[in-house]
Amino acid sequence: MGGILKQPGAFTITPHKVSLCILLKIYAPPAQISVPYPFSSVAPHNRLGLFLLALTKSCDDILEPKLDELIHQLRMMSQNWEASWVIDQLMSRLSSLSSPDDLFNFFSDIRGILGGPESGAIEEDQVILDMNSSLGIFLRRSVLAFNLLSFEGVSHLLTNLGIYCKEEFSNCPPYEEHSLDDSSSNLETCSEYENMDLENFVYEKVSEEIEARKEASEVVSFHLHTPNTLLSLVDDVDLPADSVSKQSEKVRVASPYGDPSSNMLRDVDHSGAVFLRTNWQVQGYLQEQADTIEKNGSAVSFNGLEIILRQLQKLAPELHRVHFLSYLNDLSHDDYISALENLHCYFDYSAGTEGFDFIPSVGGNGFGRYEIGLLCLGMMHFHFGHPKLALEVLTEAVRVSQQQSNDTCLAYTLAAISNLLFENGISSTAGTLGSSYSPFTSLGVSHSVQQQLFVLLRGSLKRAESLKLKRLVASNHLAMAKFDLTHVQRPLLSFGPKTSMKLSTCPVNVCKEIRLSSHLISDFSYESSAMTIDGAFSTAWLRNLQKPTGSLVLCPDNGSGNCSNVSQFTAQPTSIPGSVLQVLGSSYILRATAWELYGSAPLSRINALVHATCFADASSSSDAALAYVKLIQHLAVFKGYKEAFSALKIAEEKFLSVSKSQILLLKLQLLHQHALHRGQLKLAQKLCDELGVLASRVTGVDMELKTEASLCHARTLLAANQFREAASVAHSLFCMCYKYNLQVENASVLLLLAEIHKKSGNAVLGLPYALASLSFCLSFNLDLLRASATLTLAELWLSLGSSHATRALNLIHGAFPMILGHGGLELRSRAYIVEAKCYLCDSNFNVFEAYEIVINSLKQASEELQLLEFHELAAEAFYLMAMVYDKLGKLEEREETAASFRKHILALDNPQDEGDPLVSVF
Amino acid sequence: MSSKESCRSELRIAIRQLSDRSLYSASKWAAEQLVGIEQDPAKFTPSNTRFQRGSSSIRRKYKTHEVAVTPIAGVSYVATPVMEEDELVDADFYLLAKSYFDCREYKRAAHVLRDQNGRKSVFLRCYALYLAGEKRKEEEMIELEGPLGKSDAVNHELVSLERELSTLRKNGKIDPFCLFLYGLVLKQKGSENLARTVLVESVNSYPWNWNAWTELQSLCKTVDILNSLNLNSHWMKEFFLASVYQELRMHNDSLSKYEYLLGTFGNSNYIQAQIAKAQYSLREFDQVEAIFEELLSNDPYRVEDMDMYSNVLYAKECFSALSYLAHRVFMTDKYRPESCCIIGNYYSLKGQHEKSVVYFRRALKLNKNFLSAWTLMGHEFVEMKNTTAAVDAYRRAVDIDPRDYRAWYGLGQAYEMMGMAFYALHYFKKSVFLQPTDSRLWIAMAQCYETDQLRMLDEAIKCYRRAANCNDREAIALHNLAKLHSELGRPEEAAFYYKKDLERMESEEREGPKMVEALLYLAKYYRAQKKFEEAEVYCTRLLDYTGPERETAKSILRGMRSTQSSFPSMDVEHFPP
Repeated sequence: MGGILKQPGAFTITPHKVSLCILLKIYAPPAQISVPYPFSSVAPHNRLGLFLLALTKSCDDILEPKLDELIHQLRMMSQNWEASWVIDQLMSRLSSLSSPDDLFNFFSDIRGILGGPESGAIEEDQVILDMNSSLGIFLRRSVLAFNLLSFEGVSHLLTNLGIYCKEEFSNCPPYEEHSLDDSSSNLETCSEYENMDLENFVYEKVSEEIEARKEASEVVSFHLHTPNTLLSLVDDVDLPADSVSKQSEKVRVASPYGDPSSNMLRDVDHSGAVFLRTNWQVQGYLQEQADTIEKNGSAVSFNGLEIILRQLQKLAPELHRVHFLSYLNDLSHDDYISALENLHCYFDYSAGTEGFDFIPSVGGNGFGRYEIGLLCLGMMHFHFGHPKLALEVLTEAVRVSQQQSNDTCLAYTLAAISNLLFENGISSTAGTLGSSYSPFTSLGVSHSVQQQLFVLLRGSLKRAESLKLKRLVASNHLAMAKFDLTHVQRPLLSFGPKTSMKLSTCPVNVCKEIRLSSHLISDFSYESSAMTIDGAFSTAWLRNLQKPTGSLVLCPDNGSGNCSNVSQFTAQPTSIPGSVLQVLGSSYILRATAWELYGSAPLSRINALVHATCFADASSSSDAALAYVKLIQHLAVFKGYKEAFSALKIAEEKFLSVSKSQILLLKLQLLHQHALHRGQLKLAQKLCDELGVLASRVTGVDMELKTEASLCHARTLLAANQFREAASVAHSLFCMCYKYNLQVENASVLLLLAEIHKKSGNAVLGLPYALASLSFCLSFNLDLLRASATLTLAELWLSLGSSHATRALNLIHGAFPMILGHGGLELRSRAYIVEAKCYLCDSNFNVFEAYEIVINSLKQASEELQLLEFHELAAEAFYLMAMVYDKLGKLEEREETAASFRKHILALDNPQDEGDPLVSVF
Repeated sequence: MSSKESCRSELRIAIRQLSDRSLYSASKWAAEQLVGIEQDPAKFTPSNTRFQRGSSSIRRKYKTHEVAVTPIAGVSYVATPVMEEDELVDADFYLLAKSYFDCREYKRAAHVLRDQNGRKSVFLRCYALYLAGEKRKEEEMIELEGPLGKSDAVNHELVSLERELSTLRKNGKIDPFCLFLYGLVLKQKGSENLARTVLVESVNSYPWNWNAWTELQSLCKTVDILNSLNLNSHWMKEFFLASVYQELRMHNDSLSKYEYLLGTFGNSNYIQAQIAKAQYSLREFDQVEAIFEELLSNDPYRVEDMDMYSNVLYAKECFSALSYLAHRVFMTDKYRPESCCIIGNYYSLKGQHEKSVVYFRRALKLNKNFLSAWTLMGHEFVEMKNTTAAVDAYRRAVDIDPRDYRAWYGLGQAYEMMGMAFYALHYFKKSVFLQPTDSRLWIAMAQCYETDQLRMLDEAIKCYRRAANCNDREAIALHNLAKLHSELGRPEEAAFYYKKDLERMESEEREGPKMVEALLYLAKYYRAQKKFEEAEVYCTRLLDYTGPERETAKSILRGMRSTQSSFPSMDVEHFPP
């Protein structure tokens, strides 16, 4: 309601502030010489000053520490008698305030410790608070606030003071409030104070004040992306952050909903009461929670956060952000209905003007920013797998933000729409977008989804660039790169016959886009934001005081390999915001994907590794899981299944609760391949069915999953020698991929078709498929796939008769550099075998002279195939070897290889489970 | 129903006991019912008829069917023994405390009774403490309004009261009044289940305390909860049920309960007002107006429920009556939220929205949870085109009572005004869900679907169809249905609805452009169907009107005649209309 709202952040005087004033008076008693009475030296005196500075920084309503907490903190500050003297003084002065008049006197006295500009004659050593220092300003504000109080206010203050003191004396928990136990037992802090000498201190104090002021005035975007900071905030016990997180994670996983009280109450106590003091701190806390949810949604315990949020709402009914947080919480726990409710509630109250850091400061138009609500609603529908609804809502968002000329929101909306189109492959958007977004209507042509997507991306990118939204620019570049990676670029308006059709994606383009996005970090500048970093800053204040500064930089890496120092740096308020890190991280993932497609295995692996090591903490869990998936796939292809499975186990533990589907998909894929190789067709079929179940999910259809499932199906059929069925499955899959423009899949499906025909003995039929696949690979720069297509082509030629052996051999030799450099075990050994076959078929080839070449490559092949447990091919290799040995008359070797051959053939015929731990999972 | 005489004697005793315990509003309520019991004709004395005249005449006027005054079969009432008062040991202290209490010096009253153990004294002491805490809380709430709406003002007496009352209950020494107070305390603390049980205990042992029933009612938010209550059947329960049904929007059930109660309490103003409330929810404004006129003539200084009367007057646009009502309540008691709302309504009717917002604000200052003021203020902000403020006001109304369909509807309207039709749909859906029988809501939702941005016409048709089934007063739905169908190229459906619309307009004797449109469409439709006779009928009717349609009708007629006479087989389309 427009007019009734109170101004937030009004400075009110509270018992806690009265105690601070008393402490200030102790710190700087009027007319005393340099070091006032109780302090033996400068150091403890300075310690008190620093402590007070920290307390005044964190003084801003909502929740203030109780007296016993304050005393506790004082005790922590130092343990000798000075502290207890201070505490005694504090208590006695507090309890002496027994009538309103005492208060009046106290506040008029306290003005005396301020040095004024006119009180020129200051004695040398006198301790005087500068009027304009932080402490001085605090004192002045307190006095002013007291003088503004009505008599009712004063009497309230008096009553509250009574309660405040009584609570300490009786120590009984007040009605309806949690008691605060085990707050902190941090003893190491003393060392810091003791080591501080005077000169240093004076300088430090000044600089800190300057810094503080700078921080406060500067507009800094508000992000804190580290779980470690949060953990260290919540858990006072100085455990290594990682182990703590692991512990709590396990507990949560074990019982995500059951018996929340024990675990969560602790959470509540800690974060709800001890650390959430100021307005800004609460905001900061909420922001942190939001980031955690975003990063690792389902790991946040639903009820725990809900309890905290409810408490917060009770304390601050006008802090509407709480609704947004509970929306996020619902979102991450897939509670559609209440997510919807909370979202609407939040935007009804806040009108979208509270707490979005990408809004440039609102120029006081009375309308509110409901378009952001639409944007969020659209994303929510997207998240829940309602692409149609999402598109409707986002279209409305486009319209409204155009009306309100909110270009920022428009840019984000366009990005969201393109993301939606990208992920969901909607076959037709005509009618929804066409009517509202101008480029289409003005062109008057109906375009394919891809073309619309391209236009959207361009538009969004342009807007983001002109609005200087760095993060959006970066993620748009990433999206462009993704687009370039998977779609053919052709001129938008291609009329007439044979306009120059540039049918290729260019790796250079992709890399350029990716690089553009990671320039972000170098020229990252603070975007104007509605929220400053103050909250995080003041949260960090108290912590920093208690921590030796050294530890922030030298984080003891406890061997997990994933806790990197990057996160430690981000704990500092001035470092790179987490969202930037996240964008950077996903650029690495994208690079890995790009290289994977283009066929450079090592580069792909390196990029995935970089992501897993450097950005594990900053990135969202799905990104992190993707990086792991890539690494494991790499292992499977290059090191065999054993290693891959053991790695998979680790990954499964790590992402137990998160993004199950990605890891699950990988697991099914690996198991399926493994089963195929070992000839366990029944198992393969079973796994295939499981994949099919995954693909037909209720929450929207995932094209990627769907293609993967039918690919597996076709492969299984092929392995079972059901060629016709396999071909029909592959054919329909190709049709689907073609319809949805899945170019990379197109190429691999064509290759599969070629394989099917090759195996069924129809080499002539297979040839066109192989050639088509080759040309696809060429136009998309899919080098590795191209190499394997070439290999298939060679096999096809070879099966046409021995007269084509040379041609086949030439083809293989052309592809060899790529295959040996980047190919996996299977591809390499296949190439070796085909090469050997070519030699053996060739009539010009003399076995007796050059048998070494053949035997060497066959040996290589058989070794690698044994790693893969690929019985069929291994048997073939051994068979060929045995034949060669037979020709050469080397009987001993012949027998040996023949025995191996026999072993593999037997294994293929009687597939048995050798107690494979992963198989037994099913 | 137990005999009137026994009700009367029960109430007489109860009133005395209630006012002894300073439960003023409960005793007021009981006294109203006592006077509301119809006199037996035998003891008819002229002095008693004062309160009877009006209400019975209303009943004569509006009673469409003779309600069976005979009790519903199978209901037998438990005769709850009237509680006996214990002897006061220190009656003098009690009297002193009572007079302090009556002077609103609660703490003082409690202090006087500090060592008294009589049940009456214990209750009065606890109640005085409770009220003292409440009073202080209210004061503090204003004194301490912090930033971000933080107000931690609590009733400081609650803790000790809860402790004392729970021990009393455990020891079995608690009386129904203390039980009521205990329920009150528990409800404030938030433990609703226990509060419910305690209140049920209280009303079962002492049914005449209306305050306890109202507290219980506020804890019955669903029918399931209501059915789970284990209540003795006493005639007070009927009052309770009627009131709960009303709250749960089971208006017809509630109405029949009240009709039944009228058999005994024929002259009760309370029941009349409640009936008016139910009729208001059913949108029978004429009846409501008549009831309130009678009520005001019987009880001219009544302020309760008068805001509803003003809403009716507002809806009927009775300027002078509304202003007179405003004047009257203003003179009676200007610092009641009801009076402020009435004045706000008056200004709103006059189109002075800023002033009306001022009065709604005042109503909210007096009672922050005065639901209708939030909603009405939202309406005002919508009128002033201040959508953001409107959204905020409506949202607060919704948060106070999530079942307030008007506020949900208002939210939808506000968002639709901002051009966020799709977003608005969410709210319309909510309101329609809560009040599925209100055609206006359906029409609003249909229009939302119809907007240029959405154009989801099939959904719009569905909504209009619902609206048409809900007794659509303004007859928008039929017309729009017909228009939509013709737009979508479904002439048969369109003709069907135009015909229906026409019939309706005929029966209500309305004329206007809609009539012309319907006639023209039907004429053209039947011509295209080659049913020339029907077409002719509509065309001739069109001839009664002036304007271009008349000429069109003429030309259609001419065309048809020539077709029929000379080229019977030729297609009609060839003739330009």
